[in-house]
Amino acid sequence: MTTTRPVSKAESAHPEAEVAFAAFIRRLAHDAATLRAIKSGKVDAILDPASGRAILLPEAREALRRGAAPANQILATLPREEYQRLLAAGLEPVTLALGEVLHEPGELIRQIYFPNESLLVSLVTRIQNHGALEIALVGSEGMVGLPVAQGIGTASVRAVAQGTGTALRMEAARFCEALGTCLALQRALHRYTHALIAQITQTAACNRFHQVEARLARWLLMASDRLQSNLIRFTHEWLADLLGVRRVGVTVAASALQQQRLIQYSRGNITILDREGLKASACECYQKIKDIFDCA
Amino acid sequence: MRRKQIVQPSDPAAVATVVMRLYVAGGAPNSVQAIANLEAICQQHLKGNYQLEIVDVFEQPLRALADGVIVTPSLTKLSPLPAAQVVGNLSDQSKVLLALGLQGKTP
Repeated sequence: MTTTRPVSKAESAHPEAEVAFAAFIRRLAHDAATLRAIKSGKVDAILDPASGRAILLPEAREALRRGAAPANQILATLPREEYQRLLAAGLEPVTLALGEVLHEPGELIRQIYFPNESLLVSLVTRIQNHGALEIALVGSEGMVGLPVAQGIGTASVRAVAQGTGTALRMEAARFCEALGTCLALQRALHRYTHALIAQITQTAACNRFHQVEARLARWLLMASDRLQSNLIRFTHEWLADLLGVRRVGVTVAASALQQQRLIQYSRGNITILDREGLKASACECYQKIKDIFDCA
Repeated sequence: MRRKQIVQPSDPAAVATVVMRLYVAGGAPNSVQAIANLEAICQQHLKGNYQLEIVDVFEQPLRALADGVIVTPSLTKLSPLPAAQVVGNLSDQSKVLLALGLQGKTP
């Protein structure tokens, strides 16, 4: 994304600049309906045919900048000035869609992502003749592209978005530069690295020793924590891929959880009905991973 | 990946799949709101019988311009005809239902 801050000329506190920018917007919004839409406050950006760019309206830009409490928990822990420094260095909003691949194993990590609470990203590894398997789940508690923070530019796993959601992202090179001056971010990423390694370790053991039903319960709880919602949108095929089992295995496990009235599912929507009951059905791995994240 | 796409499988029992395109501006507030509002409307009224493509104008501004989009968020119904457009965060559900040809239909 190269056009999130095309209004930099108008970012000045000088009133003349603001007036000029308002006139510029009026020129672009040449019909009454568009002007009404802008005045309603229900639009974010306007397209400029002359430059071929999208321009964020001041209110939307301010809302993004203000964002007093970033939805991502790593960013939320940063001092205000450090967060502002990241925004100034190119941290920008992006919408991701289901199945969008953020990086592939062996490829350069070009962008890093801080998911908001609407987005889940799976870190997935592939084994020849056995398909894919999720080795970690990243949501609003984490960051995608963590190797970049350790000075490693190449991905070892695939990172794939698990639904439509938003994130803040940044070019990897600019992130590395900014990280050098952001001490709170460094500390937050050290803690997150520890927690992520713990998650990967526990997931490896879980995949080997635990039954599908307990693993499914564990996964649903982890997803729910990260989305901060009891509604999770997933198909059985997709869950089977993530858990490394056949679709029928997920269907049987989901049916068992539904019969116990712990969840309800239909058409790719899974709703957690009884969180405590689901915890009781999950393997120990859920609580272990959660405890490490909470203490990190 | 430049193009964002969600494709919901169509319901073979239904007569016409509603095909829509939603132009958004990254994670800007109204854009996020529009996605959430539209997903709720689709969930309630279309029951999986729709195709929705989400296009981020920061990634594909020229495509948006070519499609006649001036401001975002902007929802375009492509089919069934007639085509229709709704601008804004889609908080006015009756306006969206009217544009989608769903007004008066029970969910």
